[in-house]
Amino acid sequence: MDQGLKERGLSDQTLMSPKLQSLALGKTYGTLDVLRGIDAAVADGEFISIVGPSGCGKTTFLRIVAGLETASSGSVQIDGQVITGPGTDRGFVFQTDSLLPWRTVFDNAMVGPEIAGRANDATKAKTRDLLKLVGLQGFENYFPRQLSGGMRQRVNLARALAVDPRILLMDEPFSALDAQTREIMQTELLRIWEQGRKTALFVTHQIDEAVYLSDRVFVFARRPGRIQEIVPIDLPRPRPLSIKRTPAFVALVDHIWGLIEEDVRSSVLNAET
Amino acid sequence: MSGQASARLSVAPSQPAPARAWPTLRPYAGLLSVSAGLLLWEALSRLLINNPLFLAAPSQIAVAIAQLAWSGELWKHLFVSAREFVIGYVIACVLGIALGMAMASSETRKAALQPWVSGLYATPTIALAPLFILWTGIGIWSKVLVVITLVIFPVAINTEAGLRTTSERLVEMLRSFGATPRQIFLKVSLPSAIPFMLAGLKLGIGRGLIGVVVGELFGSRAGLGQLITQSAEAFNMPDLFAGVVVLAVAGIALTACFSWLEKRLVPWTKD
Repeated sequence: MDQGLKERGLSDQTLMSPKLQSLALGKTYGTLDVLRGIDAAVADGEFISIVGPSGCGKTTFLRIVAGLETASSGSVQIDGQVITGPGTDRGFVFQTDSLLPWRTVFDNAMVGPEIAGRANDATKAKTRDLLKLVGLQGFENYFPRQLSGGMRQRVNLARALAVDPRILLMDEPFSALDAQTREIMQTELLRIWEQGRKTALFVTHQIDEAVYLSDRVFVFARRPGRIQEIVPIDLPRPRPLSIKRTPAFVALVDHIWGLIEEDVRSSVLNAET
Repeated sequence: MSGQASARLSVAPSQPAPARAWPTLRPYAGLLSVSAGLLLWEALSRLLINNPLFLAAPSQIAVAIAQLAWSGELWKHLFVSAREFVIGYVIACVLGIALGMAMASSETRKAALQPWVSGLYATPTIALAPLFILWTGIGIWSKVLVVITLVIFPVAINTEAGLRTTSERLVEMLRSFGATPRQIFLKVSLPSAIPFMLAGLKLGIGRGLIGVVVGELFGSRAGLGQLITQSAEAFNMPDLFAGVVVLAVAGIALTACFSWLEKRLVPWTKD
């Protein structure tokens, strides 16, 4: 891919003071090149999705930003500070809800502030507001086993937001939900995100989900994992679900699918090797 | 939800008759079975055996318990046994949990301790009771030692297993917030191990009671085990059975208390 296309979605301001910046980031496991030369910048308040075939390193990239894994080369910076480990300045929404079964919804959402040593009246009140925002008012004292999958992912999201992170990281949070719940959760996520416009990184397999949610989509390629193209999504917000049937939306999905189709085909055929 | 569903099912007109009859009997099934068993026992001992040297009837046992309680002898024995049990059980639980935690906290420690724990758990350490009496006399400490050796290992093994099965996903979730190892232990490992630890403590109740009685059989001045041996030597079957019944009731009551405690402490494991 040529450099001009890669940077098409970046404004001048983004390049000067990005919220998140990845500089020549690389990750190797032994001889396996999982990520190589990831250069990207994300502006404050941007919603970025990362799509790509299995094994393209998109989840590894997210985990490095979260500090759950370390880079083999290069670095990632948030507000100009190099990431050295995990912390409550980032909120991670997990693929599986990862809720503590012995804690109520409210106490689960308070885990982050507790770890940061900030479990005071102010953060408690804020967490209550967040639970209301994600649509769980009245469920504060429920246990996870009493909730549906969609509701558990709402708690997962509220927990990540409760630390008031500088950046929200989401690892395929809707992949375990059924198709209908998933669509509703997409609109819910946008509704919640519109409230604070946190900088967000969203990893997904689903191209239409990425297009629907994002300001820009980072399309990853595999072997080695790298950014193939950055696709700006110039669709107006707020976006109703019906936008998914507009020609502009469909054209964007087709374009991204075209970028990764060959990679996906070869990974399906070589799945066993 | 499920309560509503089953309520709807039970009034469904298409429900076949036998399926409707059984649930009404179910709450009384235990009571009926015990009553029938007691009646059979009473009949057997009075009509068939009819010899108080071989078998006491439930009615005779009840009378014996009442007499022992009236004379104060029952309470003396019960108090001695209870003290031995409680002291031994508490010490064993504290040591067992500490041992389990030590084993869970490091692979080297686990490798060093595992053969001892597994070996001693499988060994009938109750056979060591005469040795403990030799060491510490026929007072309460020999029984306390027997109880400790019987209770400590299931507690340690369950604690270790509980701590080791901590979900990696949950640990990672805490790690994503930058949690310290101490925070991970207190917020995830320990709470997720509690159901296992309670199971170990519950196992310990039965084993501890056996420890008390067997320890007393080998030599003691008082206690339910001593009451049982004394009565056996005097061929006093009603008193012997009285001791056994009191022990059984104590075991059932303690286990029931534990189940109640379990529901309060770990409500998330039940649904």
